[in-house]
Amino acid sequence: MHPLLASRARLGAYLLGWAPIALLLTGIARSQGWSWAEAGALALPLCLLAAFLFLSAWFLCRALPLGRTLESLGGHGAAWGMAAVLMGGLWAGLAWLLARLLAWLPGLEALPLRVSIALPVLTGLGILLYLASVALSYLMLAQDRAIEAERRGAELQLLAQESELKALRAQLNPHFLFNSLNSLSALTALDPARAREMCVLLSDFLRRSLGLGERRLVALREELDLARAYLAIEQIRFGARLQLDWRIDPAAEPALLPTLLLQPLVENAIKHGIAALPEGGILSLSTEAVEGHVILRVDNPMDADAPAPQGLGLGLRQVRQRLLGRFGSRARFEAGVQDGVHRVTLVFPLEIEP
Amino acid sequence: MKALIIDDEDLARAVVREHLAAHPDMEVTAECANGFEALKAAAQHQPDLIFLDIQMPKLDGFEVLELLEAEGKRPAVVFVTAYDQHALRAFEAHAVDYLLKPFSRERFDAALAKARALQTAQPPSVPPPATELAAAARQGKPLERIVVKDGPKVTVIHLDRLDWVQAQDDYVLLRTEGKNLLKQQTLANLEAQLDSSRFIRIHRSYVLNLDRLVRVEQDTKEHRDAILRDGTRLPVSRAGYQRLRELWEGA
Repeated sequence: MHPLLASRARLGAYLLGWAPIALLLTGIARSQGWSWAEAGALALPLCLLAAFLFLSAWFLCRALPLGRTLESLGGHGAAWGMAAVLMGGLWAGLAWLLARLLAWLPGLEALPLRVSIALPVLTGLGILLYLASVALSYLMLAQDRAIEAERRGAELQLLAQESELKALRAQLNPHFLFNSLNSLSALTALDPARAREMCVLLSDFLRRSLGLGERRLVALREELDLARAYLAIEQIRFGARLQLDWRIDPAAEPALLPTLLLQPLVENAIKHGIAALPEGGILSLSTEAVEGHVILRVDNPMDADAPAPQGLGLGLRQVRQRLLGRFGSRARFEAGVQDGVHRVTLVFPLEIEP
Repeated sequence: MKALIIDDEDLARAVVREHLAAHPDMEVTAECANGFEALKAAAQHQPDLIFLDIQMPKLDGFEVLELLEAEGKRPAVVFVTAYDQHALRAFEAHAVDYLLKPFSRERFDAALAKARALQTAQPPSVPPPATELAAAARQGKPLERIVVKDGPKVTVIHLDRLDWVQAQDDYVLLRTEGKNLLKQQTLANLEAQLDSSRFIRIHRSYVLNLDRLVRVEQDTKEHRDAILRDGTRLPVSRAGYQRLRELWEGA
C-alpha cells in the first residue's frame, strides 16, 4: 500500500501541495488567452488526476532502490525517463479527453482546440511533474527506511538487554553451587580451617556476582576479581586438576566492559575443558593493553577425543552479542580450537570511566 | 558388603567415604576418579554396591554402568550427583536411588538401607538397563555418544562420527571411522534414542547418518540403494525411501 494512501493526514497534505500547481496551470492558461472558465474547468480536475496518477512513481522507486554507488543511476535513469514520458503522455492524452467531454458544456466549446494546441506543453509539464513525484517518492522511501532502522535498532537493543538478563540469571549456575557446597560438606569433617576458607570464598563470589548484576558496565579489574574468586573455589573442588596461569596487564584493568562478560568464558573453560579431562590442565587468562585496545584471552585444554565444537554454544554467543552490542565494529570476538587448546579472544577499545 | 566410590572430585569421594565409615559391614574396596578406573576396579573387586557420580570426564556414570552390564555385572547403584533433580526423579520409579549433593547423613543412610534391601530381596529385583536410566535422565533429548566394549578396549563413538548402523540379530554393527564395532543392543532400541532428524531407518536392517548420504539410486523397479560419501551402497527399502522423502519434503 502506498504510504500516502495509508494515512488521511498525509493524503490531505499531499493534495494541498498540488493546489499551487493548479494555480500555476490556470495562470499559464490565462496568459495564453484562455477564459477563466476554460482554465479553471481544466486545471482543477487535471491536477487531481495527476496527483493520483503520479503516485505510481512510488512503486517504481520501491522496485528500483537507490544504491550507495552511482553505478545504478544509469539504468534507473532510463527507467525513470521512460516512465515519465509514458505518464506525461498519458496525462496529456487524458487532458484532451477531458476537454472533449467538457466541450459539451456551454461556454467551453473551444476547449478541445485549445488543448490540442497546448498538448506538447502539457506533455512536457507532465514529464516534469512525474519526475518531481519520483524525487518525492525516494524521499519518502528514505524516511521509511530510517524509521525502520530505528525500530530495528531499538529491537536489537531490547534483545541484547534480554540476553544480558539471561546471562545474569544463568550466573548462579546451580551445578557449580551444589558441587561447591558438597566440597564444603566434605571439608567440614576433613579440614575445618579449609572449610571456613571455602565459606568465605563462596560468600565473596556470591557477593561480587550479585553486586555486579546490577550494573551494565564494569571495570575489567572487577571482572578479574570475580573470576579469581570463582577459580579459587573451583581449585578446591578440582584440586591438582586445575592449574591457573594468570598474565594480567595492569594498564588494561580500568577498561570498561559489559558486566559479567568474562565469567561465562571462565565457566566454559572449566566445564568443557578442565572438568572433561581426567588429568585436568592449565587454564590461562591473559589481558593486554595494546594501542588503545584491550586483548583478553582465555585458554583451556580440550579432550582430544571429543568432537570439535560445532559453532558457538549459547554462552559464547551471548558473550559475542553483548560485546559487539556495546562496542560494535570496534570490538572483535574469536573462538576456536588449535592443537588441543580452546581459545577465546576478545579485543575491545580501552575506554575508562570519565 | 564391598563398595566402590566413583567420582572425579576427591572431596566428593571423601564425603561418601566418611559416611560409609559409620557402617562397619561396609568395605570400601576402591575409589575411582574416572570411568576407566571404575571398570578396572569393578573387574578386580566385584563390588556389591557402587556410589556413582554422573558427570565425569571421558565416561559418564550411565556409560560406566552400561559397560559393567555388558560384562554381565550389575552391582547395586546409588547415584551421587549435583545433576538436575527433575531429571533424576524418573529414577524413583525404577527403584534406583540417588543422592543430591550435598546430602545429610540421614539421607545417605536411607539410600544405603534401600540398596541393601534390594540386594537381599527375594526374588531378586531386576533393575532397568543403564541405557534406559540414561534416556530418562536426558528427558527426551537425543543420545550424543555411544560406548562400545571391544574386547578389553572401550570405545566412545561421538554420533557425528557414526556413519551407519546395521542390525545383526541381538547386536548392532556400528560403522565409524573405517571400523566396524559390535554392540549388544537391538537396532530398534538404539534407533529410539537417536536424533530422528539426523539418523534415518532406511531399511529394516539399517539406520543411516543423513550427513553421509550423497544420493539414492534406483536399480530396478523395486530396488533402491543409498550411495554414501565414501562410495558405500546400502539398501533402501520402500518404507525407508518414504521416510527420506518425508524428511526432504519437510525440510
